[in-house]
Amino acid sequence: METSSSDTPSHLLLAFLHSQSQTALTRLYQRPSACLSIFRLLGPLERQIVMNLLWLESVIPAATMAAWVPQDSRQAYEHSLSILSRLHLLPRSAAKLALNSTLKTGLRHAIVGGGSSGSFGVPANSDESHPPPSVETLDAYALERWETILHYMVSSGTGRSPTKPSQAVLVLLQRSGLMASVHGGALQITSLGFQFLLHPPHAQLWELLLQYLRMVEERQMDLVEVLSFLFMLSTMELGREYSVEHLSATQTAMLEDLRDYGIIWQRKTSPTRFCPTRLATTLTSSSPPLPTAAGVTSSSQAQGFIILETNYRLYAYTDNPLQTAVLNLFVSLKSRFPNLVVGAITRESVKKALANGITADQIISYLTTHAHPQMRKNKPLLPVTVQDQIRLWELEKNRMKSQEGYLYTAFASQADYEYVLHYAKQLGVVLWESSPRRCFFGTLEGHPNIRGFIERRTAGHA
Amino acid sequence: MLDDEDEPSVRKVKGKGKATDGRKRDKGKSKAKEQPYAWEATYTRSWDTVQEDEAGSLQTTVRDLIARSRRRRLIGPASAIRRTIIRHLVLILDLSASMTDRDMRPTRFDLMLQYAREFVNEWFDQNPLGQIGIVGMRGGIGERIGEISSNPQDVLKAISERHKLEPAGEPSLQNAIDMARSGMRQEITIIFGSLTTCDPGNIHDTLDECVKDKIRISVVALAAEMKICRELCVKTGGQFGVALNEGHFKDLLFELIPPPAQRALARASGPGANPAADLMLMGFPTRLPATSPPGLCACHGELKSEGFLCPRCAAQVCDVPTDCAVCGLMIVSSPHLARSYHHLFPARPYHAVMALDEASAPSATCHACAAPFQEKASQAGAPASEGVSPLGRYRCSACARDFCADCDVFVHDVLHCCPGCGK
Amino acid sequence: MDKPSHLSIVLDLSPKQWHLAAQPGSPHPITLATFLSHLLAFLNAHIACKDENSLAIFGALPGKSILLYSSAAPVDDGDTEPADANTYRPFKLMDSIIMKSITREIDALGEPETEEPIGFVGALTKALCYINRVTTSNTTSGDRGVDPATLPDPRILIISVSPDQSSSYISVMNSIFSAQKLASFDLFYQKVTIDVCKIFGAESVFLQQAAHLTGGSYIDVDRPDALLQYLMMSFLAPPGLRQLITVPTQDKIDFRAACFCHKNIVDIAFICSVCLSIFCSPVPVCSTCRTKFPIKTLQRLNASRPNTTPGTPRPPTPANSLPRSTSIAPQSLPRSTSIVPQSLPRNASNGASTLR
Repeated sequence: METSSSDTPSHLLLAFLHSQSQTALTRLYQRPSACLSIFRLLGPLERQIVMNLLWLESVIPAATMAAWVPQDSRQAYEHSLSILSRLHLLPRSAAKLALNSTLKTGLRHAIVGGGSSGSFGVPANSDESHPPPSVETLDAYALERWETILHYMVSSGTGRSPTKPSQAVLVLLQRSGLMASVHGGALQITSLGFQFLLHPPHAQLWELLLQYLRMVEERQMDLVEVLSFLFMLSTMELGREYSVEHLSATQTAMLEDLRDYGIIWQRKTSPTRFCPTRLATTLTSSSPPLPTAAGVTSSSQAQGFIILETNYRLYAYTDNPLQTAVLNLFVSLKSRFPNLVVGAITRESVKKALANGITADQIISYLTTHAHPQMRKNKPLLPVTVQDQIRLWELEKNRMKSQEGYLYTAFASQADYEYVLHYAKQLGVVLWESSPRRCFFGTLEGHPNIRGFIERRTAGHA
Repeated sequence: MLDDEDEPSVRKVKGKGKATDGRKRDKGKSKAKEQPYAWEATYTRSWDTVQEDEAGSLQTTVRDLIARSRRRRLIGPASAIRRTIIRHLVLILDLSASMTDRDMRPTRFDLMLQYAREFVNEWFDQNPLGQIGIVGMRGGIGERIGEISSNPQDVLKAISERHKLEPAGEPSLQNAIDMARSGMRQEITIIFGSLTTCDPGNIHDTLDECVKDKIRISVVALAAEMKICRELCVKTGGQFGVALNEGHFKDLLFELIPPPAQRALARASGPGANPAADLMLMGFPTRLPATSPPGLCACHGELKSEGFLCPRCAAQVCDVPTDCAVCGLMIVSSPHLARSYHHLFPARPYHAVMALDEASAPSATCHACAAPFQEKASQAGAPASEGVSPLGRYRCSACARDFCADCDVFVHDVLHCCPGCGK
Repeated sequence: MDKPSHLSIVLDLSPKQWHLAAQPGSPHPITLATFLSHLLAFLNAHIACKDENSLAIFGALPGKSILLYSSAAPVDDGDTEPADANTYRPFKLMDSIIMKSITREIDALGEPETEEPIGFVGALTKALCYINRVTTSNTTSGDRGVDPATLPDPRILIISVSPDQSSSYISVMNSIFSAQKLASFDLFYQKVTIDVCKIFGAESVFLQQAAHLTGGSYIDVDRPDALLQYLMMSFLAPPGLRQLITVPTQDKIDFRAACFCHKNIVDIAFICSVCLSIFCSPVPVCSTCRTKFPIKTLQRLNASRPNTTPGTPRPPTPANSLPRSTSIAPQSLPRSTSIVPQSLPRNASNGASTLR
């Protein structure tokens, strides 16, 4: 989902994996499903490098590989190599290139088949009395669960009380800093939480899962088991039931948590089998993880519903209370119709959002990703006036800048004052000066020098 | 306002309404219909033909309308007609102050540059061995903007630098045409936005010269019709048109792209009629990669690794098409030639399938793209007479395979080769 | 940049050529079965790169062409393949469907006395039509408002074992031009890249041109045991990525064409100035546009022609047809010899094996 910038890997999870030990990662790479999933999370160039090396039996000199890289993309290539080596897929800065042998075996097994790790999930035998749930059931379930969480967050400050997600989810939200309890009272959404709401669903899902992974250690769970279970889920087939029998104890314990997030589905009467939902199976792809608003059959929702005009008016074709609530964060809503919400972006509404910790860029990116297909014909997509104005409103907030420093005052004579000021100016530490009042303001860093200078001077006079 | 027609006067008259008078409109504007203003474009009176389907939705009808308009283009002459393929064209651009008018968005000038670029691209696609030169009219003189060239990139580069072409002053048709026709030029295409021309002599003399030299002049006017423009076109056998709006401007310009049928030849298709027709000896080279050991090129005597090898004497030349510096053979890249063959061997048109013949066991999917056909005829209720299949099926008469509407258009517009029979 | 990519494969399934390719006497013996196992691994890798990557395989068979597999087609849920904990199920389904359809088509061929020419043009044009359908946000199918950014990047991989069919010259060239043009209707210009993987047989003039004109790569596989590595290195990267990590391309591109009269592949030809038809010998009347040529030209051309009898096909390799004119530039000699080794060792090894 994320575009790879110069210093971050292409996915949130990869940054997390970077911090893991080599032994943990090597254990992870023993499972073909994990290899496949991690491979998919890599950027395009990294994937190609892995594929070029995957089928070689021997090591090749790094220079041979580098010969295929044109001069002007050398930097991107080096960057990719460093990402791979931080994942312990490649030896760090060696003259020879060879893939981690565990990963090589695992990924080869994933691609051509073979092996006996059972890492793609053991399907449950079909049960006549309980046919597996339909894809629609799963989608509706996942959506309901996910929106419950988001809706709880968005309406926490408004005094309304929507259905509460389970206790485990609340703990997760609190630990991740998305919500916080004020003075021991009810949970309130934080500015991080507001930002979270504007993220695309994929990023939201991964943010929560990452927090879950960070909590794993203190819950005495095995991180590798947890990760490999997530990867297993991502390679499972939607609408198929899997057996819990072959899962480890850690993984069985995870089932309940994941059920709360809407990532898997379980029948109450048959706890021995489970179904991944679309949230799970799209973990490593970029197709929409949520099957759009409940009941709406068309795919237009997935492509966006917001029309923004140059006069700051905004029309949102939605009947989804969650989407309306999110819009309410930065739009002043005027009227609601069965499938349409009309509002306007005003200075007050944007300032409210900014006060909540949402940035102008987040508002603009939310509007961009959820723009109605009709808007896509415009170039640029959003009216420039509106974009600029939102940014200007943000700048208004930043009119004052604070800086620590020292005020030098009460100079004995004008000559004294000018002499010290001249010295301070040479150092480049003067922030403000006022000649009539014989005082100036210098930065914190410059203070020792100036003090020393004045002391030397007074000492010299004495 | 209508009086303008008879006197190419200096009076500046603005507005587009007058150009649309039926009397004035030209034969080359079939697509424009009766649309005097841009905001009246798109489907004229489309509500008359729209009918709801059983679900009360208009989608099928809209789809039908689109399919019909796309298909209309396809119904044309099926037989191969003889065309000129080696063409020489000079494109004259109006760079006078009148091009800064904003009646076409963003301005006439920007629109003209954009369309000119598209025109050049498309023109070279369809006229592979042709050459284009560019001349601008600005400040009362003709300016040579792009030398005549067979390389699309050179031509495009000439008109890519907008700031060098800033419009100014008055245009001069006579100066520009005189500049364009120096040398051996067959065709002149003028994009003309002004209502005046500021000429040093009698433009009718220039016109007579053009007629004598068999130069065909076509004009696309952006403002209004001027008698001299029309006369230039009529007397030289070119096309004249006044653009009503942005889309129509493009249509008019792009109508000039296909090689014009050689009328003179068609008339005299008797024995040995064409003195220009000849058999030429050409060679198809081998291209050397940049990694090959460098050799001296025969044309400049420079050491180069990239280049082409003459098939007869194996000398190395830098670029094609050219004449071999050693043996004199004309070396061309065969794909250049092949680009024009779809004119000679067009794909056979498909005919619309009106009703399914149960006996023949029709295929369920398009033979080309494997898209499933719709099960039953669309209920749009429009008469299916215009070569539109109610089933969305179009059948090749040679191989009797069915194709969908998208593939029908694609095969005849772009591919020029039937996927079923390979012809 | 990380867009999904669409891969259309044109698979040459000529039984005769594959039989020849599998003979131990052939320069680089490889059987169809071995090849397919490599190909399937490659296809799995393509899908593994990105979940949204799509795939279509077109088979060129004697006298016909057929869509063998399309990732867009719904999987008929006959549950023929039992789910298995050790393989990624989409791979398994895809592989089994491809293998089944290939087996079905080859079995259906029977054993005719003479093999019809393979439907290569049909397969290539179908691949283009298919790409046209999946990449242009088509108005007729009702998928309105598809964001062009989500449409896949298309490319074609031709896997060829057969020699050029000179009769299909115009069709192949037309296909190349439409690949160049395709998707240029869109706002952003992109073309369909055509990659060529030549497993067996002589260098293909037309396919070399196809790869060159569309910016693809032409690879003549001379080590079949390393076929998978060839496929991964050269053909896995989508066109956008090839700017970052280059792929092997061909050395020389042969711009020869096929004449209209005898369907010979020629390097020096007679061209009608009116319609640009190509003839391998001087003709009095153009067969395409019925233009009559001046008699003087005919005499001149006939006189200046190299000493081949009219109508005989020109030797296909340029090396043989080089009349040694007196003024050959010095650098041309090593060049012309460098052309020969391409064809000679192969013949020599053939001869050697038959002698033994």
